[in-house]
Amino acid sequence: MITEIAPAPERVASEPARRPRGKRPAWDEVPRWHIYLPLSVYLLFTLIPFYWILLFALRPAGSTSLVPWPMTFDHFGKVWNERAFGTYFQNSVLVGVATLVMTTLVALAGGYALARFDFRIKKAFMLALLCTQFVPGALLLVPLFEIFANLRMINSLASVVIAETVFQLPLSMILISGFIRNVPFSLEEAAWVDGCNRFTAFRIVVLPLLRPGLIAVGSFAFVHAWNHFLFALMFLSDQGKQTIPVGLNTLMSADSVDLGALAAGGIIAAVPVVIVFAFIQKWLITGFSAGAVKG
Amino acid sequence: MKTSIRRNRRAAVAVALGSVLALTATACGDDGSGSAGDKGNEGSGKGEITFWDNNGGVRTDIWKQIISDFEKKYPNIKVNYVGIPAASAQSKYDTAIQGGGLPDVGGVGTAMLAEVAVQGALEPLDGRLAKSPLNGKLSQNLVQSSKAAGGGDQLYQIPTSSNNGTLWYRTDLFKKAGLDAPTTWDKFYTAADKLTDKGKNRFGFTIRGGEGSIAPALDAAYSQSGITSFWNGDRTTVNDPKNVAALEKYVALYKKDTPSADVNNDFTKMVAQWDSGTIGMLSHNLGSYQDHLKALGADKFRGLPNPTQADGTRVQISNPVDGLSLFKSSKNKAAAWKFVEFALSQEENSKFNQSAGQIPANTDAAEDAWIQKAEPTKLAAEALNGAGTKIVQLPYYLPDWNTISKADNEPNFQKVLLGKMSAKDFLNTLADQLNKAQADWKQNH
Repeated sequence: MITEIAPAPERVASEPARRPRGKRPAWDEVPRWHIYLPLSVYLLFTLIPFYWILLFALRPAGSTSLVPWPMTFDHFGKVWNERAFGTYFQNSVLVGVATLVMTTLVALAGGYALARFDFRIKKAFMLALLCTQFVPGALLLVPLFEIFANLRMINSLASVVIAETVFQLPLSMILISGFIRNVPFSLEEAAWVDGCNRFTAFRIVVLPLLRPGLIAVGSFAFVHAWNHFLFALMFLSDQGKQTIPVGLNTLMSADSVDLGALAAGGIIAAVPVVIVFAFIQKWLITGFSAGAVKG
Repeated sequence: MKTSIRRNRRAAVAVALGSVLALTATACGDDGSGSAGDKGNEGSGKGEITFWDNNGGVRTDIWKQIISDFEKKYPNIKVNYVGIPAASAQSKYDTAIQGGGLPDVGGVGTAMLAEVAVQGALEPLDGRLAKSPLNGKLSQNLVQSSKAAGGGDQLYQIPTSSNNGTLWYRTDLFKKAGLDAPTTWDKFYTAADKLTDKGKNRFGFTIRGGEGSIAPALDAAYSQSGITSFWNGDRTTVNDPKNVAALEKYVALYKKDTPSADVNNDFTKMVAQWDSGTIGMLSHNLGSYQDHLKALGADKFRGLPNPTQADGTRVQISNPVDGLSLFKSSKNKAAAWKFVEFALSQEENSKFNQSAGQIPANTDAAEDAWIQKAEPTKLAAEALNGAGTKIVQLPYYLPDWNTISKADNEPNFQKVLLGKMSAKDFLNTLADQLNKAQADWKQNH
């Protein structure tokens, strides 16, 4: 049987295409200013504080100009050389990178266990992991301080790295377990059939597929450790071991503040985070959405 | 296979539990060394001591210089300097009091002295001071303030410096407007009105409406009302009708002669705004002198003690006194006390206060040449030590003072500025809380 398909009637040029009632307009039907105006306003609100920081950092002390001209880098020189920001920066990099590595490694192991094994208290364990997110770090300061003091780890960067890692782990493990669940178990089984043991199968088959998740978790751990003030303040005493957030706070005294130096310090503190986000933005968004939705 | 997995699991649980117990045991097994419960000892007067600077960063250089001088004089004592950001000093002390790791000696301002002392962390210093060459060399006003701030029975802090409320004003703007220096409250209000031109974004005054607003508001109230004591028996005078009237007049300046954003002003915003704008007057303290100097240059501003009444009567609230305290848990109190004595010597105390722009506690240091040249400090010292000056002692000794004067009442002061609460209701609420805190304190003393 041959079915003839009647040609579709040509749309009359003068008659505009009607959108079914209740449907959203298509992208190309929306006037451009409906999109760009709110975005521009939002961008303005976001960027003005950054401009203000740049302005204070780059204009000479005492200037009231609204543009950073004549431009000076004196404030940067002051905080870097006179206020030991070079040392703080180095310490923050150490703490950030070590936290990133430790958090990612432990979260990977824990996340794998949560995703691939069934054990009796798994649900309770997951709930406990979630509950730890409601405990503020300040609440645990004294016990942590006592533990590190007894381990003779006060005034050591390791204490900050451990504390940061411990606080990052619950969320990181939950996220990573979500990613691992998304990787079909049959892939691992196939690798086992080909002669791999569990670890090799994980390393060769699963790990490469976890890249967005690892980047998301790692960057989150790095940025959090980079910005966190409390543990560094409490566990580190030696000025040569303090980190950038503590250094920034020392620029504000009880009744005097050098705004130029503070702004320059703020930029030095923000640059690594901005660079990290610029490079990993794509992975970060993919990572968080995948881990969150399908976890 | 299953048995093996189960065995491994049990082993893992055992290791985990063992680790937790080991950590807990090591944490609990400590004798509390360096915490508030530790009584410490005199030590040999040699070796290492740790010094915490409660205003780290800005004062780091000058303290390192003093430490270097000290180590030259006492080569067998080494001082480990720890700079703590001013805003976090109290939490760092509180954590160390509970968790251990207190220093031998540290900077403790009067604003936090009571809270640290009440936890039993500080060594009483009356006996040491009586036997010290410093005895009689320190400003008695400041020693009394230190004693009062610690609870009144014992001296827990040796004062190093005092700050003082200062009215900074723009000499160029005053000259242009043909105004007299704002030495009295009448002149102050006249200048605030005359210098305001909202159309041109010019204002006569900037008021502190955000963090830290209570002390300046009380200073303005007592200074205008002329009431000279914070307590009348066991009741505070803070809500006396004269103070209410004075505060009403002061807060009426908001928006009339001040920017409307002042409702959120902490000292940082207030100072930055005054240094970069065209505002006639700013009420702060001596601590921002260097900021004004950098921003405006020496010839565009002056700093006077806060205004007097028309007849010249000067009433002002007590300002925080900076000082050094010895910690009970120190294992080397003899060396730590040597450091306190050295830091308070004429030469070192003078050096420190010249750098900090504050008034030296050492009376000989207060006579040094630099003070005569630093006009705001000189005038503040004269006002503070002047025979006619009446100081209203704020109750820094109340352990709840910080909570009452910050978290509890700063939002209320903002309501007063915004017209959502009357000055009378604000002061009545404050008075109720203070009366209760005073009654509690008395019960325990």
